[in-house]
Amino acid sequence: MNIKIDVKEKDSILAVKVSGEVDAYTAPKLRESIFPLSEKENVKMEIDLTEVSYMDSTGLGVIVGVFKSVRSNNGEFRLVGLSDRLKRLFEITGLADIIDINSQIEGGVQ
Amino acid sequence: MDFREKMEQEYREILINYLKNQSEQSLYQGQLFSRHTLEQKISPEEIVSLHKSLLLELYPEVPESVLHSFDILLEVMMGYGVAYREHQSLRNKQMELRTEMEIAANVQQTLLGTSIPDVEGLDIGALSVPAKHMNGDYFHFVVDENNCINVAIADVIGKGIPAALCMSMIKYAMDSLPENRNAPNLVLESLNRVVEQNVDPSMFITMFYGMYNPENHTIYYSSAGHEPGFFFQKETEEFSELEARGLLLGIDKKTKYLQFEKEVLPGDMIILMSDGVTECRTEEGFLEKEELIGYIRKYIHLSAQEIVNNIYKDLERLQHFQLRDDFTLIIIRRNV
Amino acid sequence: MGNQSCVKILNEWDIVAARQLGRNVAKELGFGTVDQARITTAISELARNIYLYAGQGQICIEKIYDGGKAGLKIIAADNGPGINDIRQVMEDGFSTSGGLGAGLPGVKRLMDEFDIDSSPGSGTDIIATKWLR
Repeated sequence: MNIKIDVKEKDSILAVKVSGEVDAYTAPKLRESIFPLSEKENVKMEIDLTEVSYMDSTGLGVIVGVFKSVRSNNGEFRLVGLSDRLKRLFEITGLADIIDINSQIEGGVQ
Repeated sequence: MDFREKMEQEYREILINYLKNQSEQSLYQGQLFSRHTLEQKISPEEIVSLHKSLLLELYPEVPESVLHSFDILLEVMMGYGVAYREHQSLRNKQMELRTEMEIAANVQQTLLGTSIPDVEGLDIGALSVPAKHMNGDYFHFVVDENNCINVAIADVIGKGIPAALCMSMIKYAMDSLPENRNAPNLVLESLNRVVEQNVDPSMFITMFYGMYNPENHTIYYSSAGHEPGFFFQKETEEFSELEARGLLLGIDKKTKYLQFEKEVLPGDMIILMSDGVTECRTEEGFLEKEELIGYIRKYIHLSAQEIVNNIYKDLERLQHFQLRDDFTLIIIRRNV
Repeated sequence: MGNQSCVKILNEWDIVAARQLGRNVAKELGFGTVDQARITTAISELARNIYLYAGQGQICIEKIYDGGKAGLKIIAADNGPGINDIRQVMEDGFSTSGGLGAGLPGVKRLMDEFDIDSSPGSGTDIIATKWLR
């Protein structure tokens, strides 16, 4: 039941790496760490979920909340490293149509 | 003799016995003693003080330094004593909260109550069980003026009380829809506007809305990001996904929803669920769709309600009776 | 009343002075060792609050008599920022300064009577009394 959140800024992109489980217990921590970043005008945020072993609907709520905030501040937002299960979750909820989830990790070979 | 005197008496005996023989028996008495004092809410500093005075009484020649050392112990234990009393009061408060939650859960049940319609030619089963007290899942049946059976199943993204409050609002919005219901996609569009305007920006709702027309045995349906249901075709004995894509409610007020339709033949089944069913975590990982289908097949000879009840029982056992998410399952079968 | 003595709280060492004053008065009144320790713990907590949140203030100790009863009254007063939501600071488990047992609810429990008057900008007055049994 734990989560690790790393935020790095590279080439004006805020790269957030989340590891662990995102559920009702850890979601508030994720929200606290990344929501304030999303409120900056024109922010470019990339969240890497490669190391996320589990995410429930509460975690999804945080991601969508942050996405909406980035969008309302004219920023850019994308998710990378989604597992097949997570991809399916984003497809079912229709979020895949409005959030970029298919980009490659910068410079990564995938 | 009041409790305090009795307590002193008892402690004196235990202490004297132990100083005499250092037996395990006396130590055990000490343990039992602490159970009594805890029941009577005696704080640790009082025990320290009692110990000090008994020591002085039994051994008047005990060195001053030993007696003084108890002052420090008393002072240190004071902090534990205050913490202990706070703990007591927090425990009482927790009990109060629990009672309040139970009442709230009952209120919610009444508020969100829906009855499963008894329709000729259809066999319907439905069950919704919250993981904790309050349910963030919701289902609703309405038979409209045209004798169409409307079914809604929804899941608030989020859990517990906030989700439950949110769901009560959705129920209210559904009740205020015009009596003459529109097509499922228009219902979702209208609910989406309500949610978008009234709900916290990090809270969203998934919903499947279906309308079964008994005249032509066709179900018309739309989905707002909801876990896709299954369709069981009697003729081939095959299950397929009820594909229907659409965005969650509450994200964008201009969202449009697509409407799908499917003809239902005798023996065919429509299976709807919340993600608490497929996100059900077992020791081996998540419950896969195929496994869920396996459970349905296992009970397919039973009535719709019995299938639903049995699957819930099986999944409950699979998760060692600790639901991680709310569970809702609905089965609608056209009678043969 | 002539029965009152006070200690100014300006730094952490004054907390000890306030405790000492409280203990002396408690002994004079004939409080047992456990109650002495409770009274001094309450004084410590109140003096620490003054030192941490108001910067300065004072603790006064008063012997009081009511009918046949004798008691000890602690008066803690400061002109600090005051308390915005008294209900909140009196709530168990709220304390910002530490874990279980710290803060004003603890003081209230250690003493027999407790009264607080505070508003933002006009400081805080706390009166707590313990009666001799």
